[in-house]
Amino acid sequence: MAASIIETTGLTRSYGDICALKPLDLLVPEGEWLSVMGHSGSGKSTFMNLVGGLDRPTSGSLQVGGENLLALSEDGLARFRREFVGIIFQQHHLVPYLTAVENVMMAQYFHSVPDEAEARFALERVGLGHRLKNRPGELSGGEQQRVCIARAIINSPKLLLGDEPTGNLDHKSTIMVMELLKELRAEENFTVIMVTHNQEVAAWGDRTIYLDDGILVREERLVKTDEG
Amino acid sequence: MIAIVYKLIPHLLSWFCIVLVLLRCFSVRRSVIMIAGISGFICGVADSAVLFRFFSASTSYAVIKSALGASFFLFWTIAVVAVYRSGERSTTVSSRARWFDSSFSAGVISAFIAIVSGAICACRIPVVDSGALTYAVPVLAAISLAYASLCIEKRISVSFKAAPLGAFAAVVALLLFSSSSLPRLDLFSPLSMKVMKGVHDFVHQFMESILIPDHLFVKPIVWKYIGLLFGKEVGFWGGIIIWFTPVLLIALAIGSARLPSVAHIRQGAQRRKLLAAAIREQRLQLVIPFFSIVIFAGAAYQSSFPSVEYWDPTPVAVTANQAGEIFIPKTGEINLEDGKLHKYLFKQGTREARFFILLGPDGQLTVDLDACAICKPDGYGQADGAVLCYYCKTLIPLETVGKPGGCNPVPISFIEKGDGVAIDGITLINSWVSTVQATTRVTEGGK
Ligand SMILES: Nc1ncnc2c1ncn2[C@@H]1O[C@H](COP(=O)(O)OP(=O)(O)OP(=O)(O)O)[C@@H](O)[C@H]1O
Ligand SMILES: [Mg+2]
Repeated sequence: MAASIIETTGLTRSYGDICALKPLDLLVPEGEWLSVMGHSGSGKSTFMNLVGGLDRPTSGSLQVGGENLLALSEDGLARFRREFVGIIFQQHHLVPYLTAVENVMMAQYFHSVPDEAEARFALERVGLGHRLKNRPGELSGGEQQRVCIARAIINSPKLLLGDEPTGNLDHKSTIMVMELLKELRAEENFTVIMVTHNQEVAAWGDRTIYLDDGILVREERLVKTDEG
Repeated sequence: MIAIVYKLIPHLLSWFCIVLVLLRCFSVRRSVIMIAGISGFICGVADSAVLFRFFSASTSYAVIKSALGASFFLFWTIAVVAVYRSGERSTTVSSRARWFDSSFSAGVISAFIAIVSGAICACRIPVVDSGALTYAVPVLAAISLAYASLCIEKRISVSFKAAPLGAFAAVVALLLFSSSSLPRLDLFSPLSMKVMKGVHDFVHQFMESILIPDHLFVKPIVWKYIGLLFGKEVGFWGGIIIWFTPVLLIALAIGSARLPSVAHIRQGAQRRKLLAAAIREQRLQLVIPFFSIVIFAGAAYQSSFPSVEYWDPTPVAVTANQAGEIFIPKTGEINLEDGKLHKYLFKQGTREARFFILLGPDGQLTVDLDACAICKPDGYGQADGAVLCYYCKTLIPLETVGKPGGCNPVPISFIEKGDGVAIDGITLINSWVSTVQATTRVTEGGK
């Protein structure tokens, strides 16, 4: 059995008197694709933000990739996000006045130094080789989300977080994006945590956990029909 | 005692920084640097004391100044070599680094630097009242500052490394800063003076060699440009160029050093990360050369305000008798033979001349114009053991006052008559006029 990339025990997060995440114990093995489902307001994004180092827990312990996120300083946490995590949101958060390739290079810049050839290659991998010089406004929703994927994987993260990346996409684009993520995971072996409201999207994963009002209520291991 | 500590501030401050740089530069144990540095400093102070006790002041200064001159010259050489080599990929660096980082070489280098540093520091202590106790002041101060330096150095982030090149620049800058407040050790003023004299001599030779007798064929407009070459600006800017070039070259060498090759690393993120780290390290290494540039500027600035208190006498007006002879009695209101510089102003009609009389160390009086053949006639003041040209801030040792040439005051012939000195008024005026014409014409753009 693979080592765990994420280990939480008694992890909580409260906003004032709202307890968005009740004590959560969870192990995520390295290389797993974990789907997170639940009603709106059930604490899915809260969980993602904690795991991605975007937010700090109120209590409990949280180990990601062998690092104790509670012990990291602000700088340490920034380095962790930079080098360890790739994130895709529902809203693409691309810089509107930069081209696709420049948006990817921006992520390289914040990580280390920009490298245009590598950024181009990353866009070619997500099938946007012909749209390098287009701004986000000139791309379709599915294409924008693919730019986000290129941006998220450019720094070779060990952990890819998706917070409803396909929430705004139609069925066809959703399939395309999910297929792409699956291919990339096969090549790069990163761990995926995917928040979704869509049962079909959740089915791409190895396991689904269900959150309700900040509590892990159920978990389901999926038997892959297409992988025998 | 407090006065001495006050005087020693620039020297002790640079000592403090030198220790800091040395500790940061070598990766040997800190105790090696501390022991070598402190014992070197004590040796330096002792050396200086011995020199001044057994040799003349000018010899002693010359010894220390040569050490400084040599290190500045070495600095130039290293800077040029560094720029020349900066394009190479650093393959031999490991063997060089191994030699550099042995305890022995680190100790020797530190000790040598500390000796020079201590010697400069001790020069600031007046020879007359220097008991062993007086010398204890800089030694004790240096030891405590070295210790303070050690404590601070431990707190500086490890990522802030001092590359040998940068550290060398900083040490030379600090030594020159330390010495620049002592006019007789200062390198910057004589450097600009040499440049000025060099240009002056070259233009002069050039004019003579192409047989242009003064300004017979040369139009005034041309003089304007030639004049520029004689100005203080030429000496100053020439000096500045020589002064700052090596440290700029070193900054250039560090800045343009080839980054380590990362092409063999397959994963993009990893490759970029290594590259970014190398770039960051290179940038951090530039901090020390830039700090050195500031120190060099400080040294040049300090050198134009020598801290020796000089005596600036007001000229006494004198007249000639019927025979056209100026007679100045040796004793009376003014004692000519008291070793001080006595200035006089002689007026004849619309023309005037300034001169001074001084008793040399050889016991002979000398009469000189208050001007030299090179500088604008701003005149001279008296510093200890020397006269100081107000214009170019060069110190002329008393031994050479009365000899012609260079920045020496122009000597005037005179006769010692009984109890006074007699000077021919016409000779004096003519000599003044021709000297001053030669220097002001060119400096003011020619007429
Ligand atoms: N910054 C915040 N300040 C205060 N309350 C917050 C904050 N962020 C989230 N919450 C609250 O925490 C709870 C969980 O929010 P969270 O965003 O995790 O839900 P979610 O499961 O992602 O919902 P959705 O599916 O709508 O995105 C909600 O009640 C929300 O109002
Ligand atoms: Mg959410």
